Amino acid sequence: MEGRLANAWRLTVNDKNFIKTALLSEIRIDGRKPFEYRKISIKFGRQDGSSEVQLGQTRVMGIVTAQLVQPYRDRPKEGMLSIFTEFSPMADPSFEPGRPGESAVELGRIINRGLRESRAVDTESLCILAGKFVWAIRIDIHILDNGGNLVDAANIAALAALLTFRRPECSLGGEDGQEVIVHPPEIREPLPLMVHHLPIAITFGFFSNESILLIDPTHNEEAVMSGRMTTTVNANGDICAIQKGGGEGIPQRVIMQCLQLATSKAASITKQIKDAVEAFNTERALRKIKRHPTSTGVDVREKQNQ
Amino acid sequence: MEIDREDGRSQNQLRPLACSRNILHRAHGSASWSQGDTKVLAAVYGPKAGTKKNENPEKACIEVIWKPKTGQIGKLEKEYEMILKRTLQSICILTVNPNTTTSVMIQVVNDDGALLPSAINAACMALVDAGIPMRHLAVSICCCVARSGLVILDPTKLEEQKMKAFAYLVFPNSVHSVLPEGSPSVQGEPIENGIITSVTHGTMSVDDYFYCLERGRAASTKLSDFLRRNLQQQSTNSSKAG
Repeated sequence: MEGRLANAWRLTVNDKNFIKTALLSEIRIDGRKPFEYRKISIKFGRQDGSSEVQLGQTRVMGIVTAQLVQPYRDRPKEGMLSIFTEFSPMADPSFEPGRPGESAVELGRIINRGLRESRAVDTESLCILAGKFVWAIRIDIHILDNGGNLVDAANIAALAALLTFRRPECSLGGEDGQEVIVHPPEIREPLPLMVHHLPIAITFGFFSNESILLIDPTHNEEAVMSGRMTTTVNANGDICAIQKGGGEGIPQRVIMQCLQLATSKAASITKQIKDAVEAFNTERALRKIKRHPTSTGVDVREKQNQ
Repeated sequence: MEIDREDGRSQNQLRPLACSRNILHRAHGSASWSQGDTKVLAAVYGPKAGTKKNENPEKACIEVIWKPKTGQIGKLEKEYEMILKRTLQSICILTVNPNTTTSVMIQVVNDDGALLPSAINAACMALVDAGIPMRHLAVSICCCVARSGLVILDPTKLEEQKMKAFAYLVFPNSVHSVLPEGSPSVQGEPIENGIITSVTHGTMSVDDYFYCLERGRAASTKLSDFLRRNLQQQSTNSSKAG
């Protein structure tokens, strides 16, 4: 629609030159050093499996839901994990509603590769009845505010939502044990997902001058940079995925430097996610205790008489 | 006839309201509105040049995009978009910026009953945050009729499912006029008695409907006060310059 194109945001030549010149002296326009991450804040909604992550000015929401479906024919004992990303026009006036554009698809694929193909989420534990019923986990990622580096923020949101999601417990019943009974959460406590490790995506920005290398670009820097690379690593030092689609050519030693940097950053981000999830779990447990005021207390006086 | 509501509220009690403005950086105006556990985020992008094909170019046009929490966009979302668009068109002054499109985006964060009213309230606050010229604000409330004939306000999702019928009502906010002749009136009645939008589900008798309107109107004054307090507080805090 021409209406949208008429208001496409463009950075002026002066702004671009200022950013590039400042980077030559290792100064970024928001005052960070080249290898410094923005402040990450992870919040959770009241329901299980909903997270909101803020990385500087970037804001992403992750929602996890589960459904019982029939498994794929060639993988009858495995559950399914699918990621849906939609770039909401709320985040950036240049995002169009409707079909996801190429950057939305790329973001979804990077997160997919990091979570599913590295077997971070255990899909075999999602199987209830082989060949008939498995859990299909659906992760919806909503981009609320585009302040740059959507991949990293969306990845953290997806991980945080997965770690706090609880699926209902189900058991086999019926005459021949072929029926699946799903227990509602009030009767039986829902179960968390089995997550083996946390793959963290770290994005680097490259510029035409070889010595300039950035981590976690803001959206002003994204408009100026000439190449980007996203590495998905976990705290153990395993590389889960590397995505570098075109852009400036980079020598090998720079890539090695990036990977080493990514591993150290991944450790600190993993710790942040785990701390936030633990705080949520304690709060959830406290809420559960408050929900049962009818539980009878122990009468201490009687015991003393005995 | 007393009714026992699960969260211990009385018939006419609303859930705790929370609202914050200016939460997103790229959007020109944004607001988050929560009633109890229902939470909605609204963002507004100010007037852009041009209108869509079938719209009148002599007036400003409002475009609404509704994003559900999970799942595909279906007919329900399209219906909500249409209701929201028509409601907002009646409160905005459309002749100020002709041949422009103002986009309002709604993102559902959590749905625990009274979703459409929360979205309308959030959209209103976001429009104020963006500085879009409006005649007055809209306050929205959900009233439902139980099988016993009792009317309760602001249901949760469980309550909504058990009710015989419910209605989403939108009223103009109450006016505090500084003019000596008092607030403007239409045909002798004060402006806040008018109804902007009414969407009903289920069957209810005419008397029940009028009773809902009365209750809704009474609650809308409370909501108007909350809105006014909230807007006055935050306008002294920050400005969006730069």
